[in-house]
Amino acid sequence: MKPATATAGIATGTAASDLGRVLAQRERRFAAALLAPAFMALLATTTFPLLFLIGTSAFRMDLAMPFADGFVGLENYRTLLTDDRFWSSLLVSLVYTGATVVLQVALGLALALLVMDMKRGQGWFRVVAILPVVLSPAVVGMIWRTFMLAPEFGIVDYLAINAGLGSKNWLGDPLLAMISVIVIHTWQWTPFAFMVLLASLASLPEDIYEAARLDRASAWQRFRRITLPLLRPAIVMVVIMRTMVALTAFAAIFTVTGGGPGTATEILNLYAYRKSFTELSIGYGSALAVALLIVTLLISGVLFALRRAK
Amino acid sequence: MTAKRFRFVATMIITLIFLLAWVFPIVWSVLNSLKTDQDVLAYPPKLIFQPTLEAYRDVLFGSGSILPNLISSFVISIGTTVITMLMAVPAAYALARLRFRGKKFAGFYVLATQMLPPVGIIIPYFLILRNIGWIDTYQGIILIYLSFSLPFAIWLLVSYFEDIPFEMEEAAYLDGASRMRTLWRIIIPQVRGGIAVTIVFVFLNAWNEFLFAVVLSGNTVRPVTVAMFNFVSVEQTLWAKLAAVSVLAMLPVVILGIIAQKNIVKGLTVGAVKGGGRR
Repeated sequence: MKPATATAGIATGTAASDLGRVLAQRERRFAAALLAPAFMALLATTTFPLLFLIGTSAFRMDLAMPFADGFVGLENYRTLLTDDRFWSSLLVSLVYTGATVVLQVALGLALALLVMDMKRGQGWFRVVAILPVVLSPAVVGMIWRTFMLAPEFGIVDYLAINAGLGSKNWLGDPLLAMISVIVIHTWQWTPFAFMVLLASLASLPEDIYEAARLDRASAWQRFRRITLPLLRPAIVMVVIMRTMVALTAFAAIFTVTGGGPGTATEILNLYAYRKSFTELSIGYGSALAVALLIVTLLISGVLFALRRAK
Repeated sequence: MTAKRFRFVATMIITLIFLLAWVFPIVWSVLNSLKTDQDVLAYPPKLIFQPTLEAYRDVLFGSGSILPNLISSFVISIGTTVITMLMAVPAAYALARLRFRGKKFAGFYVLATQMLPPVGIIIPYFLILRNIGWIDTYQGIILIYLSFSLPFAIWLLVSYFEDIPFEMEEAAYLDGASRMRTLWRIIIPQVRGGIAVTIVFVFLNAWNEFLFAVVLSGNTVRPVTVAMFNFVSVEQTLWAKLAAVSVLAMLPVVILGIIAQKNIVKGLTVGAVKGGGRR
């Protein structure tokens, strides 16, 4: 707070320092009043549910069979460790997250490098790239499920038939379904990586490249030794943000495959949802949600450590 | 010279493929929404056809109209935006400009709340809202939307508040203006642009939310993203209508996205500079 320190600095003696203290106290009170509504709302909608969730995970709570409800301690977590569907959903989560993040960053970076060199037409990319990222993942999922991927109707299937591959059950085959949901997520979010990296590329200093050119560095060397290290903070930021979103992706899978066929595309997030709201086992669903939180914290911890490391 | 020419052509082709891939699913939905049911199902797919607004008329004014769902979406999004802004603007100002103990922790807390997976919020809230009869109500959905809209808005606004020079405030204080008056008369007008951008993004995020909406919506309150499912059933999919609904659901956010074009990168990466963050 500048004004109080300024006043305190000008005047001298105990009266002035008293004044400073009064002003500082007033500032604290004002800050508390301004922060209170937002922080009460945040406590109520995030911290409180977290505690409630941990509590619920220690109960057997079955909306379909309420008579069997009761405190079970860590039983849900013990079940979880031997639950094959939990481990398979964790694996699906890691594959889905890893694949979508790597594809987004690789494609986004490649395209940003290409567009950066274009003399004209950059504006087109800046506008078009906005379209996918502002859409609801639910709408995107629905469009892909129907107009793009429906067998003998969707455009992708039409192209596959014309290419001699034959009609495929894009969302009915476990492997194809997994590839499809990865492609859909990548389609929607590569523009995000592209926009961030293009903005970052545009801010790099030109003179380093001049110097490198004078030193006869090849295009690959310039990319490897200059561009990549300078872009590293932006790339790491994109990786962190997109990883967090992919781990908790819901609409993008729910609307396309619902986690199926079977549990082929069921990421941990979706498993926690299905357990809680389809199978109505709220207690076990809560334990799964806590497990997802722990996985999220572990992965972000690793990513933040990588960000700090040189 | 020829190598240069080759590189140019290759770049053009690759970038055009990207452009086409991003635009196509959206354009194709728009085209399908303008077709009759026969034209949608035509094989090979028809690019040239007699356009009609029949599908739009049906989904808006026919039986099972989605007009109430569009209204739901607007009420939820506008309600969320208004309440979020009323809380986030003062909080962001305090975090950006005032000195108080625990300020660092407060900022960290706002970011940390974002680590909690949404499914972990909706399970307890489903139980609570069911007990107090708030399932299928606007207040239930809007309350829970604050969990993601508030941290987002606070962090985006902090970045705008930090950009204004301190001299403005000092001059106002020296003139004897109260803190509240200074905030309202001097500071807020300075961040008008930032507030507008924040409003756009909060609205957009609320409009696009799906998980909370699926769990909490019912026959009274059902946003359009959830209501879309009525057009896809096991027995039959109403293709042209589904396309029309998709386009109607996309229209507001596409318009807002293009309005906020210059700020979109900032809006999407907010909070990331200092920590985690998610959309």
